[in-house]
Amino acid sequence: MLVLAITFKSTAQERAVRFIDAEGQTLAEIPAHHQNDQVYLPVDAVKQVIDPRATHQYNHPRKRLTLKTKGRQIRLQMGRSAISIEPDGQTLTLATPPITIAQQPMLPVDFFRQLLPILNNVEVIYNPNLNKLQIRSKNTWTPGETDNLQNWTIIIDPGHGGSDDGCTSSTGIFEKNIVLALAQQLQKRIKQQGIQVHLTREKDTNKTHFERIQIAEQNRGQLFLSLHCNTSFSPHEKGIRIYLNNPKGRIRFPSPTQPALIGQQLKVLAQVNFLKQSQDFAHALQTELNFLTETPIKTINLPLIALSEAYMPAVVLELGYLSNVEDLEKLSNAEYTENVVQAITRALQRYISSINQQTAPTAPEE
Amino acid sequence: MIDKQKITTAPQTQNGEKGQKTVKHNNSAGFSRLLVIWGLTLIVVGIGLGVTLLLIERSKLTVIPVAPPPLPTAANPSDTPPPPQEVNLFLLDATTLTLVPIKIERRLHTDDLTKRLDQVVTALIQETPPNFRNTIPRGTELNEAYIDNQQTAYLDFSSHLTDGHIGGTTAELLTVTAILKTVFDAFPDHIKQVQILINGEEIKTIAGHLNLSQPLQLPQ
Repeated sequence: MLVLAITFKSTAQERAVRFIDAEGQTLAEIPAHHQNDQVYLPVDAVKQVIDPRATHQYNHPRKRLTLKTKGRQIRLQMGRSAISIEPDGQTLTLATPPITIAQQPMLPVDFFRQLLPILNNVEVIYNPNLNKLQIRSKNTWTPGETDNLQNWTIIIDPGHGGSDDGCTSSTGIFEKNIVLALAQQLQKRIKQQGIQVHLTREKDTNKTHFERIQIAEQNRGQLFLSLHCNTSFSPHEKGIRIYLNNPKGRIRFPSPTQPALIGQQLKVLAQVNFLKQSQDFAHALQTELNFLTETPIKTINLPLIALSEAYMPAVVLELGYLSNVEDLEKLSNAEYTENVVQAITRALQRYISSINQQTAPTAPEE
Repeated sequence: MIDKQKITTAPQTQNGEKGQKTVKHNNSAGFSRLLVIWGLTLIVVGIGLGVTLLLIERSKLTVIPVAPPPLPTAANPSDTPPPPQEVNLFLLDATTLTLVPIKIERRLHTDDLTKRLDQVVTALIQETPPNFRNTIPRGTELNEAYIDNQQTAYLDFSSHLTDGHIGGTTAELLTVTAILKTVFDAFPDHIKQVQILINGEEIKTIAGHLNLSQPLQLPQ
């Protein structure tokens, strides 16, 4: 028991904080100290993450730390949340105060989370469960023109509904309810960005695939996001999956040879024409959602009925496995679903921004 | 009264002690005999257990017992039944989460391709060896199997394939892939694509995700 406790303690202390960039690439991995549910990093982390030329002085008897970086002086008092930034004369209250561990000053992750945007003009998001801190340039995906966002209409398709429960967890939770709740949450969030959103169902009602696509087309949707939950025969399979409609995927349709099938094939091919854009959106989703997961998310190509007649870029997002206890727990957790909603919203902005860049009118050449 | 009792009880105890001594002697002899008997019984039980365990292990080793040979040519009883052939059934390895081929032996129809296809797919539906998961809902039946001149196999299942399916894209893909892999593996020269039907009708999907409206292939 003692051995177990020691091992646990030591692993908890050694768990590093991973600083990643907007694309999910690791910038630095810094061994962290975990104490009272808070994560602390040594002062040297500032050099690795904020500024390699940063210097610091620590007054041991007074427990005062002075950091010099980017022409600024940052003063911290161990055990106190308030910090001062000179010459701006700015004061900032950290969510967690710095402390001393083994007589050495240690900075809470919140220091980096709160200071980085001020010092480096970046945006920072932190995933406390996985100890990932993402630093993104403010220009990574923010669309240049807000007008562009208002021109966009997104269709969110909560899968199943009505008599079709979708898959069911062993605890009796239905896929149709999870995806509807998340779709509504997502709709609210995306609307706040000025993007128009339509759901293919607002309530617990039956809708055929054709009816869903009709709603998408009537509302002139430019992107179709179908939300589902997954199930497998093994309780060990877990995680988010992204599916693209591709008749030449892991299972595939034969090449068209029979004339009778041509009409149908044309429709299928029409969706394939959007495959490149669908892939781009899938990639954006993957990059943003990877932030929430331990292992990278897979994108899988398959002929999909839900997207087979959608004449727009379209993706099926499977939020997690109801047959897996961990995934089920996450999907029942409001904080987690809010993080998923935020990640999807960021993916949308990233995608729209990339499309806008592609289609942006180039300066006329004289 | 008391004295009398004392007088009478005293020799009794003496006798009693003597008696006890002899009993003790008898007891130790009986005890060792009992020990021998118990020992023998334990050995016999031990051997019995060992043999039973060995038999169980052996039966585990032969994952699937060779099915009783169905006599395909019942019309002519004098014909010798065809020799058992190896067939790969693709089942889910619950540890690696992948479909793996499991070899079984079946006396397959040698001359009738359709009947052989029926036998292979029926075996896939029915077999669930330990440590593996069958990806076809338990209780699904194969109504009919048919191969056309385009080398397309039509597999007509009972509606339980849809109604009894657990749902989810992963599970649906595993079900379809298990069928395709098993069929293509058993008929590499005769079947190029497979169309899944339910009660004789073409279907759009099994669990609401995959588009199964056309014959299907696997990537080469």
